[in-house]
Amino acid sequence: MTVALSLVITGVFYTTLSLSPLILFACMGEIIAEKSGVADLGIEGIMLMSAFVTFAIDILSRSPWLGILAGVSVGVAMGAFYGYLAIGVYLDQIASGLSLYLFGLGFSYVLFVVLSNKYAGTFPNFINIGTIYVPGISALPIIGRVLFQQNVLVYVALALVPTTAYFLQRTRIGLQIRAVGENPRAADTMGINVKRVRFEAILIGTFLAALAGAYFEIGYLQTFQFDIIMGRGFVALVMVYFSNWNPYKALVAALGFEAVNATQSEIVSLAGPSLQLSSTLFNILPYLFVLALIPIMGRRARAPKYMLVPYKKS
Amino acid sequence: MPQGVKPDNRGRLWLLYGAYYVAAIAIGIVVGLAVVAFAGGNVGLALSTLLTGPITTPAGIQQIFVRFIILCLIGLGVGLALKAGIWNIGGQGQMIIGMVMVFVVTTYLHFLTSTFLFLTIIAAAALGGLAWIVVPVVLKTKVGANEIVVTLLLNIVASNFGLYMINGPIRGPQSFGYPITATLPLNLRIPLTFGVPVVVAVGIALYLLVERTSFNLEANTIGESAVTAKYAGVGVTRVTAITMLVAGALAGLAGAFLVMGYLYHLDAGQFSTNYGLLAIIVALLGRKSMLGITVASLLFAYITIGVEEMAVVTGVQSSIEFAMEGIMLIAVLFASYLIDRSKLR
Repeated sequence: MTVALSLVITGVFYTTLSLSPLILFACMGEIIAEKSGVADLGIEGIMLMSAFVTFAIDILSRSPWLGILAGVSVGVAMGAFYGYLAIGVYLDQIASGLSLYLFGLGFSYVLFVVLSNKYAGTFPNFINIGTIYVPGISALPIIGRVLFQQNVLVYVALALVPTTAYFLQRTRIGLQIRAVGENPRAADTMGINVKRVRFEAILIGTFLAALAGAYFEIGYLQTFQFDIIMGRGFVALVMVYFSNWNPYKALVAALGFEAVNATQSEIVSLAGPSLQLSSTLFNILPYLFVLALIPIMGRRARAPKYMLVPYKKS
Repeated sequence: MPQGVKPDNRGRLWLLYGAYYVAAIAIGIVVGLAVVAFAGGNVGLALSTLLTGPITTPAGIQQIFVRFIILCLIGLGVGLALKAGIWNIGGQGQMIIGMVMVFVVTTYLHFLTSTFLFLTIIAAAALGGLAWIVVPVVLKTKVGANEIVVTLLLNIVASNFGLYMINGPIRGPQSFGYPITATLPLNLRIPLTFGVPVVVAVGIALYLLVERTSFNLEANTIGESAVTAKYAGVGVTRVTAITMLVAGALAGLAGAFLVMGYLYHLDAGQFSTNYGLLAIIVALLGRKSMLGITVASLLFAYITIGVEEMAVVTGVQSSIEFAMEGIMLIAVLFASYLIDRSKLR
């Protein structure tokens, strides 16, 4: 019994950590972008495109690193285009973000089917990047499996949280990003190029969102389907909001979401056929967890003052 | 009609809108055709199917009208809320609840007489959609939570909830274990002769509400700045709540029309559509005016069905529809930017 229980606990925590980079990368990227005053509702679409390209290039070139590079490049290209729309020609950020999502949702799957037809449905093996086994401690019970046998990008994602906080609070460019999000006119008077800083923030943000999509392929899924990101990009947007644009709170929220999700899927698979009917009901639990947090954590949320407001020099 | 336009320029302005928006949609079609060519499909066949396919079969014409009704109902709600600066991204979720409610009523209240059952279904669907937006309304008006993120989240919840319902409570008696509902009996199906007048009535009612009462002014004031509106004595909470609730109810109603006018049953595939976002495109294309949204709905009903038929005949994956819609939305926004910048204003 105790062995079974420890296996379950290990499974839940392991899944929680190995899925968390998906939301974490996207979340940190979106925090940086929104701090500059530009929200990107299209990160789900960027993640989908990046995930597909990573998958495709990985199996075509037999190199996971090339896959990540290509996936992230496509994501950043979409981000640059979005930056032009939102910053360059002042298009509505919500609507153009959603258009990016629609595009990524449809286009990634159309291309996947083209690729799939080319291989007549049986793809060559997907090449992964290795799991890191931290010497010694990775053999520890439970903790060893959960903490020290993860994909390298999991550690990168976790390290990104304090890095983002430091970047925004302590670096020059971070200060500029916050300045153009809070008061672009004053920032402009101080000699900051508002549009350029916002554009850089969007590029960083979409780079990280694209990395999330690439990680999903390389570190977790290793295949592709329609709508494969399953709304994690949208969840990241929600997390950014009620973490009050605080990277540490976003980390807690993201881990909480994935923990609830891992727990429910563990329960469903343990209960077996008797519960299969309502497994879809269990799928709702993590989203209800997020909804329940909104009135608690979202009450004090205060968006960057000039978020969604384009900056036009008068 | 945009403010600050000289009366003698209005005709030219509408012409300009038309030209730019047609060009925007054409860009989406061209990109779609390029993808067809890339996938090795027949481009000529693709274009002719897209443009003329929907009107060549009676089923296609039926589908155009049903989709027009759906897009128009959700789009009118989205447009109404947009006037007050509120984004209802959750049309999809509200519509799904409306779809599910149809079968909740037929499953649990099947003993009602036919006419009464019919009306109960319509009411339940609208109420379901309305109920689905209550949480965003409360969170927005009481907590100040952003309605965009909440409605987005509820879309995911709604499609999972729909999957659960067709797996259990509303699964049909002859489904042989598959997640599928029963098929609606003939007397519960909506003939188009009923659906189109409903949409026209809703459109006129919203037109009167929006353009002929102080609502338009109030909503626009809130849309400009909620703080200013509050100082001006506009009931921000009231207007926000009303517009969102109306939008939710209309989307729920759209769900009922989709099921009763075209699908007649529900299976898992019905939850992965994107009518909610399509309705946003329609609302923006119609420039938030009730008449504009109606015209845009008809146009997009035709185009999207044309694209779906194109995907079938060329063997390209049908999700090309979403990609093309995304491009059309970008192009429409860009066209709006060019129009607003032009010298006519």
